[in-house]
Amino acid sequence: MKTYVKIALSVVLFIAVSAILAALMLYNKKHADTAKAKPDFIVTATSLQKEFEDNEATASARYVNKILEVTGIIAVVTPLANNHLNLSLKTGNEMSNVICAFPAIADPSKLKTGEEVTLRGECSGFLMDVLLKNCAIIRNKK
Amino acid sequence: MKRLFLLFFFLNVVLAVNAQKYMTKNGYIGFFSHTPLEDIRGDNNQVAGILDISTGELVFQALIKSFHFDRALLEEHFNENYMESDKFPKSSFRGKITNLSLVDFSKNGAYNVMVEGDLTIHDVTNKISTKGTIEIVAGGINASSKFDIVPEDYKIDIPGVVRDKISKAMEVTVTMKYAPVANK
Repeated sequence: MKTYVKIALSVVLFIAVSAILAALMLYNKKHADTAKAKPDFIVTATSLQKEFEDNEATASARYVNKILEVTGIIAVVTPLANNHLNLSLKTGNEMSNVICAFPAIADPSKLKTGEEVTLRGECSGFLMDVLLKNCAIIRNKK
Repeated sequence: MKRLFLLFFFLNVVLAVNAQKYMTKNGYIGFFSHTPLEDIRGDNNQVAGILDISTGELVFQALIKSFHFDRALLEEHFNENYMESDKFPKSSFRGKITNLSLVDFSKNGAYNVMVEGDLTIHDVTNKISTKGTIEIVAGGINASSKFDIVPEDYKIDIPGVVRDKISKAMEVTVTMKYAPVANK
């Protein structure tokens, strides 16, 4: 009888501890690591912007919430509060870029207007520009 | 050549001074709510905004999915449970500075303004009016404002257990750094 109680108790304890651990893991879940994640699509800034401009609904259904690897020429680098940074990539349309939001970035001085860059980020959708968030630089060379 | 350059330079200055429209695509909107457990804040640095200084008209547009939270789970809940951002991806404000005559756009300086307009969140539009600051600086205009919104006004359902723990109103902060739009 005693061993019976012991086993029952340890099973209950095990379940309780696992539940707490699972809840904690969920609570502290990190954002997707776009630097390491496998991209769902590999595109150029020009073709991505054109797809959204031609048909926002179709492009949204295809790209929103997906991880994109985008290559393009840097149009503007905008440093923001708390070490955040926005990077605009040129497209075929002067009025509409691909704007990529970066969380704290190690060395923003490496990013220069006019240079080609490849980055990965999660697509949020289309406003006047295609917007990506949680971005990471993959390649920063010609 | 030098003359041509000078002419070009002056033309640019004249155009900049005459610019009526100011724009940004890297504007900031954030919201903040205090709970006993933790402070909830979402930051969006990809807000598009246009300010027309001849009429005082203001337009903002933001994607709900562009709001960033430190914890991924919060961001997920915000998008899926509360804002339903797949169904209602955009939020916007369309309004006007009502005391525009107090602002001298030709001189650097800060001015207190009143703003009135329609705020659309979660596909629900409400009239709001708030105070703000317009600051004329070299090369542009900075604008900022802080106001409270109540999620229920925008039909955003927050379950009772959670609702009791967060403050009734959320504090919204807007910070824009506008640059002149080149005349075409």
